[in-house]
Amino acid sequence: MTQGTPGRPQTQRQALPQHAVERIQRSRNAQGQRFFTSDLSVKEFLLVRESGFECAGLVMGSSFYHVGYQKSDWSQSQEMTVLTQAMYQARELAMARMEEEANELGADGVIGVRLHVNRHSWGEDMIEFLAVGTAVYARDGSSWRAPSGMPFTSDLSGQDFWMLLKSGYRPISLVMGNCVYHVAHQSLRGWFKSVGQNQEMPNFTQALYDARELAMERLQYEAQLDGASGVVGTQINESTHSWDAHVIEFFAIGTSVAPIAMKEAPPAPVLVMTVNE
Amino acid sequence: MSGAAHPFTSDLTIDELLLLEDVGFEPIELVLGASYFHIGYQSSVWSQNQELVDMSTMMLLARQTAMAEIQTQAHALGADGVVGMRIEIELEGHHAEFSAVGTAVRRRAGDGEKYRQHQGQPFTCDLSGADFWALVRGGFRPVSLVHGVCVYHVAHQGLHGWFKSVGQNQEMQSFTQALYDARELAVGRVQQEAAAFGATGGVVGMEVREGNYGWHSHVIEFVAMGTAVSPIADAAHELHAEARVVLSARD
Repeated sequence: MTQGTPGRPQTQRQALPQHAVERIQRSRNAQGQRFFTSDLSVKEFLLVRESGFECAGLVMGSSFYHVGYQKSDWSQSQEMTVLTQAMYQARELAMARMEEEANELGADGVIGVRLHVNRHSWGEDMIEFLAVGTAVYARDGSSWRAPSGMPFTSDLSGQDFWMLLKSGYRPISLVMGNCVYHVAHQSLRGWFKSVGQNQEMPNFTQALYDARELAMERLQYEAQLDGASGVVGTQINESTHSWDAHVIEFFAIGTSVAPIAMKEAPPAPVLVMTVNE
Repeated sequence: MSGAAHPFTSDLTIDELLLLEDVGFEPIELVLGASYFHIGYQSSVWSQNQELVDMSTMMLLARQTAMAEIQTQAHALGADGVVGMRIEIELEGHHAEFSAVGTAVRRRAGDGEKYRQHQGQPFTCDLSGADFWALVRGGFRPVSLVHGVCVYHVAHQGLHGWFKSVGQNQEMQSFTQALYDARELAVGRVQQEAAAFGATGGVVGMEVREGNYGWHSHVIEFVAMGTAVSPIADAAHELHAEARVVLSARD
């Protein structure tokens, strides 16, 4: 990973904790029948089955990370590359462990992935990244794994997954991009000039614009490396993660998709009037 | 069919009621269960990641007791199951109150036997009327609300460890290990409990929650909870409605 451009690093295959391995082994009984656990709702569960997939089990990955401090120039807008990389690396570790659990389960992919950021009262400066999703496999035995050979990942709900397949696309992987940015403080002179005025603050605009663009660009780059034709459901979140108020992380996440051969035309929508409020 | 003589009570909404009736069930009565427990402290080694086994056992037992009470009541009412079950916990210091509430339901046609658990007890689930409808229409039946509990003590970091990490960006492997392990144990136990109830489908709607209840800050309870389901083995349920794309006329 070179400075400032956290493209998709080849994260090493992760070793799983012992209890994870035991749990995965127990998801098949002595006769080899599967028994799954899943956080999908009933409707999602039924739609996954309707799409020709079966649930393999709940998969998760965690990484507890100490995110330290990076010195920044008070009056300068700049990316804090050390923090960017730390935040990226921590998420990537959690995701890689989740993927590994899905791989151990023999799944084709993971849907409904959610990335949580947790803090605990006893861990100052420490952030826990947690990835949770439901591993699925195709009922007909066909392989839906990503080009990398690992299970596909996606943050789509069961409903979205069904819709996506119906409209002729398949998920490839969860792609992300982030950027931790220090927004310059305004000098006293600048403050005097703007007080009582209605005007754009070009340096703030520029800083936030830049940071979002960087995060999006990295997300796009990951999707290109995956050989995807596009990214759906992209969200950009910003958070200061209890750092200095002028330090902001922009985090973009979405699911990269590629077209598949369609057996039938996508279903036409039906208009309904709901009677419950 | 005793509807006229004995009015039912439930906390179901009107559409939930309609959907229940559509799959051949009727509500009987709102059932409540509660259990009171004294949860003692278990000593733990300051510098060690470990499960507090006694506390895990107690927290699970308290939930199971509240649920068992509901089942006993529902059974006495002649119910085939309980839907919309919720469990609430109030913990003050060491005194814990676990309360459970749900709506007892039965099959109208009187063929509820095949919906019951293997010992003839009524099924339990936390599904809403709509989810219950979708599940049954999709060819599955709820078996039991299942829990997995793991109370874990996360090791304190030594001063030496703290000095090493200050100002650094790095993974804290021992913490990762602790939280990861605790969650895996909780989820793994859900799987075991579901199997013990004889569920053959899987567990849906699972949720993993963390709680501390004002205990020592390094002691965390992980609870995984979901509804274990089994396929319904009869021809009528093999044909399930095909999903359609719908545009709602609301908003």
